[in-house]
Amino acid sequence: MKASVTKPETGTAGDIPGYFGSASIYSRDEIPAEAFSAVDEYVAAHPGGHERLIPVLHCAQSVAGYLPFELQDHIADLIGLSPVQVYEVVSFYHFFSTTPKGQYQLKVCMGTACFVRHAEHLIDAIQTETGLVPGQLSEDRVFGLELVRCIGACGLAPAIMVNNEVHGNLDRNMLRRLIKRLRNKARAKAAADPGDRAAGKETVA
Amino acid sequence: MIAATDLVTDAGARVPRLSVRICAGTGCVAMGSLRLADRFREEIRQRAAAATVETTPCQGDGRVSITGCHGFCAAGPLVKIPELGLMYCRVQERDVPEILTAGFDARPVDRLLFHDPADQSPCKGESDIPFFRKQLRRTLALCGEVDPESIDDYIAHGGYEALRKALREMTPAGVIHEVKRSGLQGRGGGGFPSGLKWQFVAEAEPGERFVICNGDEGDPGAFMDRSVMEGDPHAVLEGMAIGAYAVGASRGFLYVRAEYPLAVERLRLALRQARERGFLGDAILETPFNFDISIVEGAGAFVCGEETALIQSVEGKRGMPRPRPPYPAVHGLWSKPTLINNVETFASVSGIIAHGAEQFASVGTRLSKGTKTFALTGKVNNIGLVEVPMGITLREIVFDIGGGIPDGREFKAAQIGGPSGGCIPAAFIDAPIDYTSLQSLGAMMGSGGLVVMDDSTCMVKVARFFMEFCAEESCGKCPPCRIGTQVMLNILKRICEGKGEPDDIEHLESLGEHIRSSSLCGLGQTAPNPTLSTIRHFRSEFEAHIGGRHCPAHECNALLTFSIDEERCSGCTLCAKACPSNAISGELKHVHHVNQDLCIHCGACLTACNQGAVVAL
Repeated sequence: MKASVTKPETGTAGDIPGYFGSASIYSRDEIPAEAFSAVDEYVAAHPGGHERLIPVLHCAQSVAGYLPFELQDHIADLIGLSPVQVYEVVSFYHFFSTTPKGQYQLKVCMGTACFVRHAEHLIDAIQTETGLVPGQLSEDRVFGLELVRCIGACGLAPAIMVNNEVHGNLDRNMLRRLIKRLRNKARAKAAADPGDRAAGKETVA
Repeated sequence: MIAATDLVTDAGARVPRLSVRICAGTGCVAMGSLRLADRFREEIRQRAAAATVETTPCQGDGRVSITGCHGFCAAGPLVKIPELGLMYCRVQERDVPEILTAGFDARPVDRLLFHDPADQSPCKGESDIPFFRKQLRRTLALCGEVDPESIDDYIAHGGYEALRKALREMTPAGVIHEVKRSGLQGRGGGGFPSGLKWQFVAEAEPGERFVICNGDEGDPGAFMDRSVMEGDPHAVLEGMAIGAYAVGASRGFLYVRAEYPLAVERLRLALRQARERGFLGDAILETPFNFDISIVEGAGAFVCGEETALIQSVEGKRGMPRPRPPYPAVHGLWSKPTLINNVETFASVSGIIAHGAEQFASVGTRLSKGTKTFALTGKVNNIGLVEVPMGITLREIVFDIGGGIPDGREFKAAQIGGPSGGCIPAAFIDAPIDYTSLQSLGAMMGSGGLVVMDDSTCMVKVARFFMEFCAEESCGKCPPCRIGTQVMLNILKRICEGKGEPDDIEHLESLGEHIRSSSLCGLGQTAPNPTLSTIRHFRSEFEAHIGGRHCPAHECNALLTFSIDEERCSGCTLCAKACPSNAISGELKHVHHVNQDLCIHCGACLTACNQGAVVAL
């Protein structure tokens, strides 16, 4: 099961383990309960029709970090759509993700300005350091790599975003150092709070 | 100069009043401008606390505020001291005490001023900096001037006067007439005359109608709309309200990319403020006109910039376009007549109403009026946001405003219009930039991304980049776009990998023509443009890749020869370890060598080396 966590986020609905089967690859207790209540509250506070779907999905993802199918089903029930009508929207928009993100989600900007200034070297460097390909999540869930379209920080090209923070004017070596720094930070955090991460990892399988 | 702004304290001492304006556009924020603002506030607070009337004049007003993007992102974080007419570049937190001390003495800190690269002379303020000198900032006039989080600041700069004038002194038809006379064209790319669009909506079947502002700026390498929404959000709201009055709508939607969280936040705040002050809501400015706006966040789909796709997205569906006609002006959101304009278009409207169509049309060319904002990026010294009159030449933008190409390299081309546009080669650098002349060169205005490329940029790779973008962003509804872009992408990839075939160029051209003529929406119809225009202007580069198996810009790995510079190699073995085909040999602390027979051109050694010793030619 753990192997499927690192599956790139592409392909059709049929490729997604668990969706047409009975069990999701993530156990239910991994989805924070607040995500369900946040969605309930949002829908109650915003009367309306199907046009609420995208805002509700934003709300759900902002709490849960991604959109697990249980949550999608729940949203479908709430606003009177079938699950597939929700999934077709989730799968259409890049912003929505059906897989969890890394503790440090590395978003490499693939806008034109970054492309002209060799963003692909940054991807190479991340791959060398972490072994990730775009769309993947590292097994320890510390790093996730994704390619994003222009983050609008063209003045800082080539740039990446780590979670919501922009790091600009990078080259291979600076990026290498950044990743090492983040990895040490994650290790320090895990050491300070050992139960949490280690246990979290085991329950995935 | 200080005397004019002196404050007199209770004790009768004169202290100078200074304000500090810190750019809080995305570029500057990423460089730490918000922390800088806190540092300024803290420093001023400390000084004020420690001050006595005799010893220091630091009790001055000391207002520290943030502003929208000044556009000069390359030199961020930017700090302005308006009373002294100063603009500081690349300000660090440790510079704060010096700036304040010098400021209260009414002198500049020379080392933090921008220095003209031509003669190294310091430039005091915006008017001296070459980057600003050739610009004509109208839509962006208040961006970098007003505090985007304060409606009072906007009103103090004449904000909402245009709305007042429209509602109280003009009829809806009069507003449309004025916009028509100004010659304003849609700034989102197509360049359709805005006044005419407004008229179509106004004349559509009576009943409910909507206004939508398209802030789904998906073009990679463009951030004009972002800067306007973040820096001058009220201008967008005011423009939408005027548009709504002209076409008779009472509900508006502002569609913003979810990737722009700061813009969403500032627009939300601006909406709240505008409602509180009665510029939105019921009975606006004591007239019978009612109008309110909702913000809709996108979710990351380039195709949603297309108006019919955007409408689908607002309705909560997959953003897939539908055939036009019927146009949204007749059959739009929830099948009602809908006015859709781009952010920059709406932001231009208040100026037209307030100052009249003549002033707007006084600059520009015969067919394209007014000014246009561009996001100037890529291989250019002064990266940033610029606003120039229509008809300016590319040379003026790249060299006078942009400060030329870094590292003394040569200008090769500029890509205008993103994935829908095309490349303008060095030969046409003196062509005037307006809607029509760009079209004749095979490019298009697009939303205003302007990416400069130097002689180390491979044009085949650029074509591949944009095709990759379009293939990925194709919504999949119509086959010419869904399949055609993929086939073109495969050919371009093959060429970059050194596996090009003799008739590839002709194939690309004929495929491009078919996709252009048979796709459903603007995305597909323009997707071949970047490829076709690079073939048109840089055919020899394609031929070198295919026939000569050679990349003139030394960018395509598969066509390069990797070797190791003996002078630089430190013998660290990193490259040998990274090489997947064991093509690199050498002992620790000895110069390494590449065995060309084993090399698979993956470029791993180039990535691995931290001495810059791997040479790829």
